[in-house]
Amino acid sequence: MSLLSLQHIVKQYGTYLASSDVSFEIPKGKIFGLLGPNGAGKTTLIRMITRILYPDSGNILFNGVHLTDKHTENIGYMPEERGLYKKMKVGEHLIYLGRLKGLTQTQAKENTNYWLKKFEIESWMNKNIEELSKGMSQKVQFIATVLHNPDLLILDEPFSGLDPINSKLIEEEIRAMSKQGKTVIFSTHRMEQVEDICNEIVLVNKGKKILEGEVQELKQRFKENKFRISYIGEINNGLLNNLNVVEQNTGVVTVKFEEEHKGNSLLKLFVEHGMEVTSFNELLPSINEIFIRQVQCN
Amino acid sequence: MNKIWIIIQREYITRVKRKSFIITTLLAPLGFFALIAGSVLISTFSQGRTDVAIVDDSGLFKDISIPDADDQTVYFHKVEDKYEQLATELPKEKNEEKKKYAAIIYIPANFNINSPNNPVIGYRYVERPGMMKKQFINQRMSEAVDKLRMKMLKIDNEVQQQMQNKIQLDFTSLDNQIERKGYTEAAGIAGMVMGFAIYISLFFYGTMIMKGVQEEKTSRIVEVLTSSVKPFQLLMGKIIGVGAVGLTQFILWIVLIFGVNILAGMIFGAALNSHQPAIGSLQTTGMDADDMQLVMKNLSSLPFTQIIIFFPMYFVGGFLLYGSLFAAIGAAIGEDGDQQSLMIPITVPIIISILIAMNVINNPDSALGFWGSIIPFTSPVVMSALLPFRPEWWQIALSLLLLIGGFILTTYIAARIYRVGILMYGKKVTVKEMAHWVFSRN
Repeated sequence: MSLLSLQHIVKQYGTYLASSDVSFEIPKGKIFGLLGPNGAGKTTLIRMITRILYPDSGNILFNGVHLTDKHTENIGYMPEERGLYKKMKVGEHLIYLGRLKGLTQTQAKENTNYWLKKFEIESWMNKNIEELSKGMSQKVQFIATVLHNPDLLILDEPFSGLDPINSKLIEEEIRAMSKQGKTVIFSTHRMEQVEDICNEIVLVNKGKKILEGEVQELKQRFKENKFRISYIGEINNGLLNNLNVVEQNTGVVTVKFEEEHKGNSLLKLFVEHGMEVTSFNELLPSINEIFIRQVQCN
Repeated sequence: MNKIWIIIQREYITRVKRKSFIITTLLAPLGFFALIAGSVLISTFSQGRTDVAIVDDSGLFKDISIPDADDQTVYFHKVEDKYEQLATELPKEKNEEKKKYAAIIYIPANFNINSPNNPVIGYRYVERPGMMKKQFINQRMSEAVDKLRMKMLKIDNEVQQQMQNKIQLDFTSLDNQIERKGYTEAAGIAGMVMGFAIYISLFFYGTMIMKGVQEEKTSRIVEVLTSSVKPFQLLMGKIIGVGAVGLTQFILWIVLIFGVNILAGMIFGAALNSHQPAIGSLQTTGMDADDMQLVMKNLSSLPFTQIIIFFPMYFVGGFLLYGSLFAAIGAAIGEDGDQQSLMIPITVPIIISILIAMNVINNPDSALGFWGSIIPFTSPVVMSALLPFRPEWWQIALSLLLLIGGFILTTYIAARIYRVGILMYGKKVTVKEMAHWVFSRN
């Protein structure tokens, strides 16, 4: 069952087509990657999901019903360009944002205390926002996003400008929320970041969807039957004669097959020639490589 | 609606709690107090004494009295010295104490009473006189020439005294018992104060709204906010919140100013009565202290019910009308400080309104006043200035109706500009583009 369903979304700014007939489903409880280079139309799609913008045509369904303003209270959105009111205190700021998301004063206060405690920053409650360092305000921004316990979390470039410690913290939180059954949309142009976080992805470029699917399935679908073997010693004569060697360095050789191939026969060949193999693995393409290939194809 | 209320609360509370709010609220009446005290002190001490030597080569003014200034600022001395001698000595004298005269009035030997400007009486100064002194000295010498003329015509002193008595017509309304002598002046003063209050607050709180919107855009919090509330709710929350701040500040000011005024009256009362510096400028317009008292008496016969009902309406109406436009400009400008020129379309009508208001208090029945009080862009200021002159009920009704229509229109336009503007970064916005946002479909 999908939490969110985008159907034939079109959005145009003047003559610029920011979203051209885009359709995809976002499954419930998964971490979903919305990927694409800068200017691909990711933020436009997110803004339509958060009802900041409206599509020119097409439908967005939330839990099977038409997305309305009421649903925004069930969405937590951390935009790429994020900020806070400088002249407010951390506590009152979080409570304010929580109330705008439909929490009562008491709930907002309780949740603020909960999260400040969880991140071990209770002492910040009465600190002015302008006193916070960049890393500190990023934590506050993340709390503001999850404060109202939304079912859908949208994070636009969540790691941009984050120090490694905060990155790790937020990554752990994303995983934890997914385990609790929350759905996370994770938008980024840094594709290497998402490979091990996301379950499913959709790739967009120039306002068009160019690919979607589960990460592992995509890697299998786009694999080129390349194998890399590391070994000790010299290669025996004739061993590589009938193979398509794409790369060869001291102690490492990469071989490509024209059609799907099980690695066992290759490994067997090396062993039969008396080679001492130290490692053997199939080379799967990175999401980045798949993306570049797809863009070039289109 | 609930969310607008949450936004109003934030806008109001964060502003009212700020140090700058507390300081301006407290300092403005103190500034007012300083103004009163300062003007008393200035007129008493720092205006300085000017001694003027009169060299009368014609000998005609020998028996003509030229009185010194009442406020002890200008003294005239008829001297026997030669003009040339004085004129060369005065500028060279470095010692301040020995420098007796600041200027010489020179009446040439061939001065002719029938053409007193040919040859002219000269005023040769070492210290440049200010405008007020210049005007005073000129007036004294004209009076002296008048006295000389009457003396030559052999008009005796008694007749001269009688001629000084100017008449005052009694301006009283036929259909309104309350309007007595001095009412027009009282109404004019009240009108100007109200018109000016709206004028100032439109700029002051309008800029506050604009700055607030700019802050939200620059700090990039706006995208988080718009994912929770509609831009229109954000816009209305801000306008109403800042408006409430303005009203709070105004009420506090009125209370504080009255308090300070009473205090100032107690401390400087004596000095105020003997010098009347604030009223001094009115003297040049032909009003004396008696007239002022009459005006003060008449203030109580102003149409207070009308003023209390309608003045706040125009205050709020004008605020809503212009507040939303200031917000729209703030959204369009963002962090880009050098796009202030976009403000011209809203500042010009506000300035025009105060110009019309100043004209209206002199000509309350003019066509300019009528149209100014009807058109929504000028009516908040102009109609407030007109209220003490008892405009017709239908005129007020029409004006209010148009004002309501006006702010619905500007809020609609502003909301559309605001919606696009707040999420637009790194791009210079033109008026043409803003117009496109207003009329575009989405």
